[in-house]
Amino acid sequence: MIATHLANKHIVLGRAAAAAWSVAIGMMALAKAHLAAEMSEAWKTTIHGFGKAWIPGAQGIGPYSGKETFALAAWLISWIVLHFLLRNRDIRPATLATVFLIGIGIATTLLWPPVWEPILHFFGSH
Amino acid sequence: MNSELREDPRTAIVVSLGIMALVAAITLMMSAPFLALFGGGYAYRGLIHGVSASLLMVAATVGLYQAYRLWFGGHPSLTELKAGSVAYVVAALATTISGNWIYIPYRANVPDSPRSYFLANSPEIHKVWFEFKEFSALFVLPLTVLIAYLIFSYRDDLLASKGLRRFTAAALVLAFFYFAVAFGLGAAVTKLKSV
Repeated sequence: MIATHLANKHIVLGRAAAAAWSVAIGMMALAKAHLAAEMSEAWKTTIHGFGKAWIPGAQGIGPYSGKETFALAAWLISWIVLHFLLRNRDIRPATLATVFLIGIGIATTLLWPPVWEPILHFFGSH
Repeated sequence: MNSELREDPRTAIVVSLGIMALVAAITLMMSAPFLALFGGGYAYRGLIHGVSASLLMVAATVGLYQAYRLWFGGHPSLTELKAGSVAYVVAALATTISGNWIYIPYRANVPDSPRSYFLANSPEIHKVWFEFKEFSALFVLPLTVLIAYLIFSYRDDLLASKGLRRFTAAALVLAFFYFAVAFGLGAAVTKLKSV
């Protein structure tokens, strides 16, 4: 039987928040890049160009390579920035989890085709 | 048996498992058409991606168990958490890279590629399921890096903080969810039309 009592030492969660929220930012960047690529051929070509700049075989992978690039860059750059901004901030666990889950949830929803297709259709680009 | 094996049961178990794995590998190579696994075309890419994804499945399943222990107040070993998180990151990275590699023949602009086949016969398979699978798969690596960072950065403090234990457990469950979506849809698509 596993014990249900958990120790609850107070620790500063700034570093954890920076690491977690940057993942959400990276995934939202992935969703944004995907929507942009689906909006127009010009954006699709531009986003593909970012993938072709560094991923081997990106010509065959297509615009997906550029979307990965956007997600990776947004994740790592925002992690560095947030780390220096938040590392000593005393963030509550509930705040850490709420912001993270909302960000991940928005990104996931925007990447679900039955959601993003009507959005683009509404704006007349799909 | 030397004294080291007698004194340390873990060493004996590892050695025994190693010998069993060796016997199994030799039996497989002698009795099965092993080279056929590397077959023509893009089969070797499928093999590498499939093996990586299978290792990721093991890591994700162990991660789910660790999430249970973290959430409900078990006593997970920090060493086990560290080793598991590193294995999780390595498997996720290998699966992501090999996924890119196999995506090239999947979407090749030829009539026989899986993408062309699905778009001609059942567009929803590509436009809904495969598109969501390819994005869902990209969530796994950053989540595993986050989990490893929390474990290595906070160490014993992670185990002592209820809030951080539960947040790490939630991240492990999320990583399993995105892995399961990508793995399940990937396996289903491969069954319908492989590269």
